[in-house]
Amino acid sequence: MRRDWLIARSYRTAYVLTFGSAIFNVLAYYFISETFDGGAGAQLDGAPSYFAFALVGIVITTTVQSAALAVARRLREEQLTGTLEAVAGQPLRDAELAVGLAGYPFVLSGLRTIAYMLVAGLLFGVSFAETDWVGFVVIIFTTTAFVLGLGLLIAALVLLVKRAESLAGLATFGLAFLGGAFFPVEAFPSWLEAIARLAPTRLAYDGTREALYTGEGWGSDAAILLAIAAVAVPVGIWAFDRALRRQRRRGTLGEY
Amino acid sequence: MTEPILEVRGLRRSFGTREVLTGVDLEIGPGERVALRGPNGSGKSTLLRCVLGALTPTAGEVRVDGNVAGTIAARRLVGATFSQDRSFYLRLSGRENLRFFARLRLRDARRADEEVERLGEELELDRVLAQRVDRCSTGMVQQLGFARALLAEPRLLILDEPTRSLDDAAVGRLWGALDRRPETAVLFATHRVEDVARCQSERVLAQS
Repeated sequence: MRRDWLIARSYRTAYVLTFGSAIFNVLAYYFISETFDGGAGAQLDGAPSYFAFALVGIVITTTVQSAALAVARRLREEQLTGTLEAVAGQPLRDAELAVGLAGYPFVLSGLRTIAYMLVAGLLFGVSFAETDWVGFVVIIFTTTAFVLGLGLLIAALVLLVKRAESLAGLATFGLAFLGGAFFPVEAFPSWLEAIARLAPTRLAYDGTREALYTGEGWGSDAAILLAIAAVAVPVGIWAFDRALRRQRRRGTLGEY
Repeated sequence: MTEPILEVRGLRRSFGTREVLTGVDLEIGPGERVALRGPNGSGKSTLLRCVLGALTPTAGEVRVDGNVAGTIAARRLVGATFSQDRSFYLRLSGRENLRFFARLRLRDARRADEEVERLGEELELDRVLAQRVDRCSTGMVQQLGFARALLAEPRLLILDEPTRSLDDAAVGRLWGALDRRPETAVLFATHRVEDVARCQSERVLAQS
C-alpha cells in the first residue's frame, strides 16, 4: 500500500485532482437534482431528495470502480514496467500478491467516500440526522469485500489477456446501472427490473440508502452481501492463483 | 559430500514448437560459482527463470535445497537479477524500491530498512538510492538489481549478465560483494571471459 501511495503521490497534480474530482462529481448531481426537484415523483429508497439518492450512487460506484478498474490498471502497470515478474519472484503467496495489488485502491476509495460525505453534508446540506453510522460502515465494508472478489476475478483476466480494461469498464457500468446507482430500479421496464433485482450492487445501493437516510433495514442487505463476499473472495483468489500459474507455465508472466 | 543447493535434472523448456532447453542437468553446491555461457538464444535466461520459478519446466525438475523451484520455500533461498533488468517502480527512488522488496522478503519494516542501508553502504549506492529510477542510467539500475538480489542474504544467486553495463569500479564492487559471501552459491550467466575466470566452473549451453 505504501508503494502505491508513493507512486500516486509522485504524480502530484493527478493526486490532488483525485480528491478535487470528488467535489465536481457531487456538484454535477447537485445541479441535476436542483433542475428536476419534485418532478420525478419516483420512489427514492428513503432518500430525501434525488441529490441524496445520487450521492449514494457516487459513493458505491467509486468503490466498485476501485475493484474493477483500479485493480486492473494497477496490475497492467506492473506488467508494463516488468515489476510483476519481480514481485512474483519474491517469497509471497499468490493471495498476498493479489490482495496487495488491491489494498491501495480500496483505501483510496474509502478516503474518497469520506470526501464525498463531507462535501455533501457541509456544502450541499444533505442531512445525516437519521443515519445509522454503524450500519453505513458495515454496508461499505461488506460491499468492499464483495467487490474485492470481483476485482480479483478481473485481475486474473488481466493476467491472461493483458488488456482487459474495457471489460472492467463495462462491468463497472453494468453493475452501477443495474444496481440503481443514479435512478431507482423501479424506473426500468419490468423485465429489466427483474434482472436488476439480481444485481449484488443493488443490495449495496439499497442498504447504504437505508443506513444513511432511515437508519434501519440495512441488516438483511449486509447479510446477503457478506454471504456473496464469502464466496466471491475465495473464488477471486483461486482464479488469480490459477491465472498466475498458467502464465508461469506458458512463460508469459514477463510479457506485456 | 555436501548437499547441493541447486539441482537441475533433465530440464526441458519449450515455447510453442521451439524447444529452448533440451534436457539440462546441473548441480551447484554451497559457495560454488558456476559461469553459464552460450550464444544469444541458447536458453541461459530461460534456465535462470526456471530456477527462480518464474517459468515452469516443460519436463524435468529444478530443486533449490530440496524444494521445488517456484515454491515459497525455494523463492526465499534465491536472489536474482536479470539482463537489462528495469523491473523497478520507475517513479520511486532506488531506496524506496529496495525497501519495498526488502519488506516482501523480510516481513519486518525496521529490519528491511536496515538491510537496505547496509547494502547501500557496502555497494556504494548513495546516488542510486537517492535518485528516482527513471532518472538512473542503465548501469545504475543494474547495480540496483544486484543489490535487490542480495536482499536478505539468499543462499543461491542467479545473475544474468550482471556486469554487462557496469564500469570497472562497479564490476569490482560486485565481485567484492560476492567474495565476501563465500557460502553463497552463484549461477552467473555471462559473455565476458573476465567473469568466467572468477568462477570455479563453467557450463556452456548450445544453441538448440
